[in-house]
Amino acid sequence: MRGLLGELATGTNGETVTVTDMEASIEHMSRATVRHVDAMLMVTEPYFRSLETVGRIAPLARELGIEHVWAVANKVRSARDEEIIRSYCAEHGIELGAVVPWDEAIQEADREGQALMDFNRDAPAVAVIEGIADLVEGTAGNSGRGEHG
Amino acid sequence: MKVAVAGKGGSGKTTISATLSRLLARRGHKVTAIDGDPNPNLGVALGMSQDHLRDLTRVPKEIMEVKEEGERRTLVLTRPVEEIEAEYGTEGPDGVRLMVMTGVDHAGAG
Repeated sequence: MRGLLGELATGTNGETVTVTDMEASIEHMSRATVRHVDAMLMVTEPYFRSLETVGRIAPLARELGIEHVWAVANKVRSARDEEIIRSYCAEHGIELGAVVPWDEAIQEADREGQALMDFNRDAPAVAVIEGIADLVEGTAGNSGRGEHG
Repeated sequence: MKVAVAGKGGSGKTTISATLSRLLARRGHKVTAIDGDPNPNLGVALGMSQDHLRDLTRVPKEIMEVKEEGERRTLVLTRPVEEIEAEYGTEGPDGVRLMVMTGVDHAGAG
């Protein structure tokens, strides 16, 4: 028995990647939804309540056996911002996968109702998200669970 | 390969989900982006037009049912996955397919 999102992904062939934008609140994140996920990205801004959400998601993700669990720092404006996130992750044993800088292109793309990729392919945030794509690609095929075929 | 993107509302997870989906598609992967948020805007972030999104049918709740196995409650599909993807998926920029869920997370799976 699998959750819907798990079914949607496992029912198709191994080259398929599904990226699920989850519901915001952890209270509503059902176990069935995330049970068969290979990698979880927990996006956080550099302030306490956002980090606290990550602090609550991470143990659940581990409990469900999700193999790759990363925090992704977002809207980072300064070295101080980055340090706040780094130390929170270190204290809570959470791996920090990427640090996405504050990027005006994201706000401008939003205002225009455009995709960031279409608004400015060369935006600094896009370059960092390329790194996240590397992480995701790196997880495919090395899990050893034989579930990807 | 299944990736979930979580985080507090406003953290920017939708932009990151959309951009990641587009980049992976450009690298040659077959990408399905799933919008599990009750206020869906992943489609716009992927670069789909409002007209395109207006015609999109959300994956209905009835596609799943809750199965009770003792203490455990899990969600199971009532139709084959391929059928669901064909009926509710729509294709956007870089060939990314989008599916928008209806209240997945409130279906009560425990």
